[in-house]
Amino acid sequence: MRSQFWGLYVREILRTFRNPFVLLITVVQPFMWLAFFGSSFGNVSPIYLKGLFGTTNYIEFLLPGVLSTSMLSVGMFGSMSTIQDKRFGFMKRILITPTSKEIIFLSKALGSATRGLVQIPVMVVAAVAFGVSFGLSPLEWAAWIAGLFCLAIGFSSLFLAVTAPSTDWQTPGVVSNFITMPLMFASASLFSSSQFPAWMQAISDVNPITFSALLGRSFVLGRPIPWEYLGYLGIFAVGMLAIGYYVSARWLRVE
Amino acid sequence: MTDPPAIELRGLSKRYGTGDGSVLALDRVNLSIAKGTVFGLLGPNGAGKTTLIKVLTGISEITDGEGSVAGFDIRRQSLEVRARIGWVAAEVILDDDFSGWENLWLQAKLQSLTGWEDRAHQLLDYFSLADRAQDKVGHYSTGMRKKLEIALALLHQPSVIFMDEPTIGLDVGTRRMLWDIVTGIHREFGVTVLLTTHYIEEADALCDRVAIIDEGRIIAEGSPSELKARVKADLVELETSDGVDVRALSDLPGVQEVRSQGNEWVVRVASSEEFLPRLFARVPTDHIRRISVEKPSLETVFLDLTGRRIGQDEPMRDVRKFYMQMRRARQ
Ligand SMILES: Nc1ncnc2c1ncn2[C@@H]1O[C@H](COP(=O)(O)OP(=O)(O)OP(=O)(O)O)[C@@H](O)[C@H]1O
Ligand SMILES: [Mg+2]
Repeated sequence: MRSQFWGLYVREILRTFRNPFVLLITVVQPFMWLAFFGSSFGNVSPIYLKGLFGTTNYIEFLLPGVLSTSMLSVGMFGSMSTIQDKRFGFMKRILITPTSKEIIFLSKALGSATRGLVQIPVMVVAAVAFGVSFGLSPLEWAAWIAGLFCLAIGFSSLFLAVTAPSTDWQTPGVVSNFITMPLMFASASLFSSSQFPAWMQAISDVNPITFSALLGRSFVLGRPIPWEYLGYLGIFAVGMLAIGYYVSARWLRVE
Repeated sequence: MTDPPAIELRGLSKRYGTGDGSVLALDRVNLSIAKGTVFGLLGPNGAGKTTLIKVLTGISEITDGEGSVAGFDIRRQSLEVRARIGWVAAEVILDDDFSGWENLWLQAKLQSLTGWEDRAHQLLDYFSLADRAQDKVGHYSTGMRKKLEIALALLHQPSVIFMDEPTIGLDVGTRRMLWDIVTGIHREFGVTVLLTTHYIEEADALCDRVAIIDEGRIIAEGSPSELKARVKADLVELETSDGVDVRALSDLPGVQEVRSQGNEWVVRVASSEEFLPRLFARVPTDHIRRISVEKPSLETVFLDLTGRRIGQDEPMRDVRKFYMQMRRARQ
């Protein structure tokens, strides 16, 4: 079982990082996010910024949020690799060995969460390039990363649960997009949720992206740290992992 | 005491879907395949060949009946079955971003093998792939890909190998090579091979035993020579001009059966040499547009049993299907 997990996990990782195009996008994308979003407030007066975001450097505010939404896209990407494997028959090759469906699920979920983790150093370096300075203690770094990892595991599991039972190649994509949009915008990742209308705030208040963004922001901006958010993210990860595991074990199909 | 069979199926049925639109792809199949056989499943498109492989390998669930592979129940002991089988897909499924060696590595991990490297080297040597083992599989030729796929299937020393249309879309030279490989691995590695095909010559040349499958049912089974002996007749096919009814021929001596599809007739006769002069005496030759005589072959066995040919309008369809699969597999 360990051997099967390892084989599939390594395949997930190698497959991503051997592809120079994927690698390039992984590195360039965070810069683009920060450059475009960060610059959109470039001409706003510092006082106004301070009032809106609690910092004069919007990128400082943005970074934890963008990292959190990245974990969402990483989760979607992971389920796309499952669709590919089904489509090109490789899933059959795996299933005709004594590999259980649970193992396939776990390797995919962890593989895509790992891909998500790789974005963290890239993004942090990008932020430094845009003038953000980090004064985090090692414990705070660890907590921030752990929160993001939980988020990545949670979303990867969620999208895999959507993909596993499906045998056509479009439904999972459409469903994933449908989930992604509201989760991304009804969260505190890009703006402060205090300016949202009540219904969006309601979504944002239970949205794990919000918890991860606020947790990260408290570290970067040196605000009081809401440690309980880390617990919430942990529960989200474990819950989604359980759902994905169960759904894959029962309903992962290739036709 | 005789060995238990490598594959044993009793009343096995598979239905895709439910209700009106459902398809009965396998209809109460009974089959017993002895260990060490090269067994061919011969049938036209849509007969249920691939479906049979899918249910035996656990990719698809059976609807009814029972089956065992390598002594294990396909429904209840799927993991045990899957540790003992190899699979060669019609469309060649490999990880194109990985090298040949890495594909073997992954297969070894999935089969939880230890100390597999020696055998992997052996297989690479056997299939003359050793010097290309580090190259990306995406850069292999079709023949090399097929060989690597067979090496993957053999890596964990399975007792049964399933090959779905192993030579579909291959040129004649590569097809011969593959026949040699199948015979070779059967001899060298002692595996039971279940292959599907709709090439008559392939079933005839390669298989110890053949089951003919049509519309989900096994309609005949035996060694190629047994099957051919069963026909004990020549088939005369003729196409007549409109309005000619050759049914009256059935009272000629030596005629066993007359079947028609419009203006096309199949006449089953004990001896075509004796029949033809009698035919021409009865039907004016200008009423006969085309005539052909066929001596017993697996094709005539099928024709005899179903009134159809296995490979009607085949070549084109074959090539198209193959390239479609290749495109999908390579993208
Ligand atoms: N996933 C599926 N869902 C519904 N019907 C299917 C499915 N797969 C196969 N069938 C149907 O089952 C029947 C048998 O198909 P199968 O693929 O087993 O035929 P085959 O003998 O392998 O044919 P070919 O020579 O074309 O490969 C066909 O009528 C086919 O349309
Ligand atoms: Mg088929």
